[in-house]
Amino acid sequence: MTTFTPTHDVVAEATAAGFFPPRHTVEVTAVRELTDHVVRLTFHDAFIASHAKPAQFVNLFTHDDFMLMPRPFGVSEVEGDEVSVIFAVIGHGTEQLAQLEVGDTVDVLGPLGRGFNLKQDANYILVGGGLGVPPLLYAAQKIADMAGSVATSVIGYRDAHFGEEFVSRYTDRSFSIDNAQGNVVDLLDQLEQSGDLYVTDHAPIILSCGPLPMMKAVAQWAAERDMPAQLSMEQRMGCGYGTCVLCTVDTVDGRLKVCSDGPVFTREQLGWGK
Amino acid sequence: MSTITATTAARPTDNHINIYEPHEWKHSTQVAGVTWKNPVGTASGTFQYAAVRWFYDVSQLGAVSTKGCSPIPWEGNPSPRTAEGPASNLNAVGLQNPGVDHYLEDDLPKLKKAGALVVANVAGHCDDDYMQVVAKLADSAADMLEINVSCPNVTHGGMSVGTDPVALAALMDKLRPMTDKPMIVKLTPNVTNITVPARAAAEHGADALSMINTVLGMRLNIRTGEPIIANKTGGVSGPAVLPIGIAAVYRVRTALPEIPIIGIGGIDSGEKALEYLYAGANAVEVGAAALFDPVAPLRIARELDDLLDERPELAAKLAAGKTWR
Repeated sequence: MTTFTPTHDVVAEATAAGFFPPRHTVEVTAVRELTDHVVRLTFHDAFIASHAKPAQFVNLFTHDDFMLMPRPFGVSEVEGDEVSVIFAVIGHGTEQLAQLEVGDTVDVLGPLGRGFNLKQDANYILVGGGLGVPPLLYAAQKIADMAGSVATSVIGYRDAHFGEEFVSRYTDRSFSIDNAQGNVVDLLDQLEQSGDLYVTDHAPIILSCGPLPMMKAVAQWAAERDMPAQLSMEQRMGCGYGTCVLCTVDTVDGRLKVCSDGPVFTREQLGWGK
Repeated sequence: MSTITATTAARPTDNHINIYEPHEWKHSTQVAGVTWKNPVGTASGTFQYAAVRWFYDVSQLGAVSTKGCSPIPWEGNPSPRTAEGPASNLNAVGLQNPGVDHYLEDDLPKLKKAGALVVANVAGHCDDDYMQVVAKLADSAADMLEINVSCPNVTHGGMSVGTDPVALAALMDKLRPMTDKPMIVKLTPNVTNITVPARAAAEHGADALSMINTVLGMRLNIRTGEPIIANKTGGVSGPAVLPIGIAAVYRVRTALPEIPIIGIGGIDSGEKALEYLYAGANAVEVGAAALFDPVAPLRIARELDDLLDERPELAAKLAAGKTWR
């Protein structure tokens, strides 16, 4: 595989001039297959590490000149200057990224998009499914550092519970379910009935990311309880920073860009769960 | 597929150019009497000031061609709007934009305040749409107008005009008397002989031509057997279309020796911009490369500025409003 190392630091040049860093080359510091075709990739990037907010994403680029479009992935964890993403291998591009080894380089752009709003002290209920889980892991990490809030994760997996190892680092209020057992709305109902979902003195706010039908069901569940819900959307994307308008979602305010108006939208914006 | 050496300059290049340092541009060009400080602009459809301004100083470019502007807000096509092709992108945005009034109140004044040379791109579903937009832009701060008769992703207007020289001539006959602003006509490559619409535009009042808009294309999902993008077909852009754009410029330059031409299609490095200039273009616009790196247009402009140092004959022609061939 071709590696590419620029001889100057474009991140330093851009930030010194007051601009956001352009695409730049970073070093891969860890790669791990969590379960079949689900890979956790870690790279060294001080800028992204210090700026990324939960539900923001990074564009990763392959080294293949036939596959130039960025692959956008939500940040799943930040440790020091190390940034991790978790993705499924679903095509040639993700296959190439999954084959990167420690010491290889990869090109990145980010952090991009508008993340979750975590300004309110709350019991943030992280409701995720499948490859929507990684941004919620990072939300759990950030909420763990917030004195006035707690995180409760309620996550559905197809089979292996690949995210539990990470979410359990940051909250002991983690619950999960897989397809053989039911779905996350079933789990929300169970936890509500058992009294495990809510925390005294902390208003519940749902943060969700996952497959579209799941998020619509979660929005409906939240609406029935008059509970705020922030939903992180996915869409086939182009630039990732708002210039190409390829990744729209229909909202009550018209067609908005998932990459730069989102990826996080409220259920009211999406008109879901009325 | 074999691994290819990383020569695609969408990547940060190894040439020590710091695009953020103040730079005195060495090689200007002229397009229809308007001096561009360098021969590189942005291609319409890939430039939104609100997004790009965080990444670099847009006044450093030769020009910015803004997103297609319609008489009223257009919501564009449903998602998904994009798919990937080999060394290319397919898009079917359908010219989503907030309309000309918003453009005049928001984008245009901001771009002029930032010091950009602005090419306002005009879109329409019918002749009357184009006329309404041109009427509003006629006395605006826009430096040039670019008439989009080449979008493949709208059902009326766009490419349906640009592939019909009679319809194109009729449209230009209506638009030309409406303004003294230099008027560029953006052409589609989705024709048998691009010199036919080029000549129709030139003979009916176009001050310059830009080419190419995207090439009609499609990708299917082999799991479902269905098109990936909701509009089914889209427009292909990116390095894959470079030879198509070069041929278009070369053929039109040969047929129409005098008209200014802006070359577009697959430019992701100064070298490829230079290739368009040798094909007979006065200037170039960078499109899809900005999807692979936000700062690509400015980096390419800087690379070209250095490449023209070594080509004084070409540089002198461009500065004088002439072209290589």
